[in-house]
Amino acid sequence: MKLYEYEAKKLFEEAGIPIPQGALAASPEEVRSIAERLGGPVVLKPQTLSKQRGKAGLIGFADSPPEAEEFSRSLFSRKHEDEPIEHILVEEKVALKGELFVGLAVDYKESRPVLLLSPQGGVEIETLAKEQPGLVKKWPITVSRGLSEKDALSLAEYIRQERPGAPADRVTELQRLLLSFYTLFKKMDCELAEINPLGIREDFSLIALDGAMVMDDEAQFRHTELVRPRAQSEEAFKRDQGFKNKGWTYIQMEGDIGILSSGAGITMAILDLIHLKGGKAANFLDTAQMNRQGIFEAFQIFHNSPHLKCLLINIFAGLNRCDDLAEGIKDYLSAYQPPFPIVVRMVGNREKEGREVLNSIGIQPIASLEESVDGAISAAEAWK
Amino acid sequence: MSILAFRDTQVLIQGITGTQARHHTENMLAYGTRIVAGVRPGSGGEQVHGVPVYNSIEEACRDHRIDASVLFIPAKGVKAAALEAMQNHIKLLVIVTEHVPLHDAMEIFEDARNRGVVIVGPNTPGMISPPEKAKLGFVPTMYFTPGPIGVASRSGTLTYELVSRLTAAGLGQSTVIGVGGDRIVGLPFADALRLFEKDPGTQAVLLIGEIGGAMEEEAAALIARGEVRKPVFVYIAGSTAPEGQRIGHAGAIIGGTGGTVQGKIESLQKAGAQVGTTIAEVIERMKHTLGKK
Repeated sequence: MKLYEYEAKKLFEEAGIPIPQGALAASPEEVRSIAERLGGPVVLKPQTLSKQRGKAGLIGFADSPPEAEEFSRSLFSRKHEDEPIEHILVEEKVALKGELFVGLAVDYKESRPVLLLSPQGGVEIETLAKEQPGLVKKWPITVSRGLSEKDALSLAEYIRQERPGAPADRVTELQRLLLSFYTLFKKMDCELAEINPLGIREDFSLIALDGAMVMDDEAQFRHTELVRPRAQSEEAFKRDQGFKNKGWTYIQMEGDIGILSSGAGITMAILDLIHLKGGKAANFLDTAQMNRQGIFEAFQIFHNSPHLKCLLINIFAGLNRCDDLAEGIKDYLSAYQPPFPIVVRMVGNREKEGREVLNSIGIQPIASLEESVDGAISAAEAWK
Repeated sequence: MSILAFRDTQVLIQGITGTQARHHTENMLAYGTRIVAGVRPGSGGEQVHGVPVYNSIEEACRDHRIDASVLFIPAKGVKAAALEAMQNHIKLLVIVTEHVPLHDAMEIFEDARNRGVVIVGPNTPGMISPPEKAKLGFVPTMYFTPGPIGVASRSGTLTYELVSRLTAAGLGQSTVIGVGGDRIVGLPFADALRLFEKDPGTQAVLLIGEIGGAMEEEAAALIARGEVRKPVFVYIAGSTAPEGQRIGHAGAIIGGTGGTVQGKIESLQKAGAQVGTTIAEVIERMKHTLGKK
């Protein structure tokens, strides 16, 4: 789960990391009144989950409140990577003498957090690490020990070497900031947290000018206050939460062959087979362990899909039973009449009994995965 | 022979009184697994399918030698349960639970590294050693048969699909491990390969990978360094999956920095592994190379 910049900054502030003065606006009028309150030049930052707003020309500077209002009008009417701009963060413009980068990420190979620090902020860290690896310091963190005061101090000293001139108490300030930032990263179950840039003001004090945080979806139960629609409709959010509660994954795709299968790996393999054989999948659906009721419910997803030309059902019963699932298909087909043809691949526990159930409603299940995919593709073609 | 789970491996079930745990305890016992104890705070003194239940692992360890533990514990409780098992010197943990938070997993793996504990999972159906009649987890036993193939897989259902075809082709298995579908797992492919390489009962290895992460690339590096001499066969799912989306498993996502099937296949082929682009193709290759002539 990605946080908006303003959400990340609010968390920074609570953690004692300085941020610019500012507020969130939902209309040009609000932009103006915030700019009036702040006095002086302001920065306008549209709140989108897609990054690279600067490159897209979406970050604006204004010297007066009317200018801010005027510029925000054009922003509110625009979209960034399909995301409508609904909120703008209006902040005081801060004079800087330099920019740093501070990031925390997970090193998936080593299964531990890593702190990334650079005396050169404001650029993309991946690019910098590739082009000038000497300018990115990587500091692996032992989880049980955390980031110690000594670690943070030596990192802060490193920055002072690279950017001489900072008085000693500013080194302590950076040390404290790194410690707070790591505590926040852990507390919020982050996969990634960045302060980029971390500005150095004229008096060498530090200020977080931009922030990004990506939280672990699996840890949402520890942060329920942040779970709400993000760059999606209320309806899509509710649908996704419904799937999540069931332990299902659903991804809408462009094609016309629906897939109803359980297990992420096998469903992915079916998707690949369909595509390799020239078909086009309409979705990826991985249901958790399937039973009679579950298969009935899964059918509902496809119920109103006008694009569907065939539904391929894959049943590989290991812990569950073919006959139970076949009854679920029968339940559905006796209650509804889907307009598209259905191809069933079925093997496993009580296969013979399941076959009998399906035969009784005129479906001939296929045992081979490859043949069922061929069958679904030709059924979809015949439907055209 | 097999790896990690053997006939005489004494097993503990954490969370044994839950519905799923009870059901799978019965299945594991029926297969031949030596389950000696279960744990569930507050249920000490009860029995589940004849297995004595204790209030804590410490209590269970007083009465039994415990070699391995299978955790049937909800995601929220996995960290505490795994740390408790390791504190009590259990050297093999199978964490079947899905949706374990990333930071919890990092803490568990760090403790495991420090203590020399092997962790299978999280987010796995577990493991099975058919020659040893030992199953730790919930894989459906009917598809497995003893033989010389070691299997390591990131997906449960894909394991059943491929193993059932191996079995049908007369290629039995030494040990089959579901390494787990998460972004970080306790026993990645490279570690599983090292164990299979040392096992005299394993003649060849099948890796079942998928998009995302770098586990396949790490395995390729190990093979390229000459540390795996046994033939390695590979199938990787997700060659046509959309980018930037999590495809069911937390670990199955193609990010900006890689994780594509093509990249994985290239590095594995270069290292000398035999990669099939479809399930049927990899099974054919294995039959051709390893099947009885």
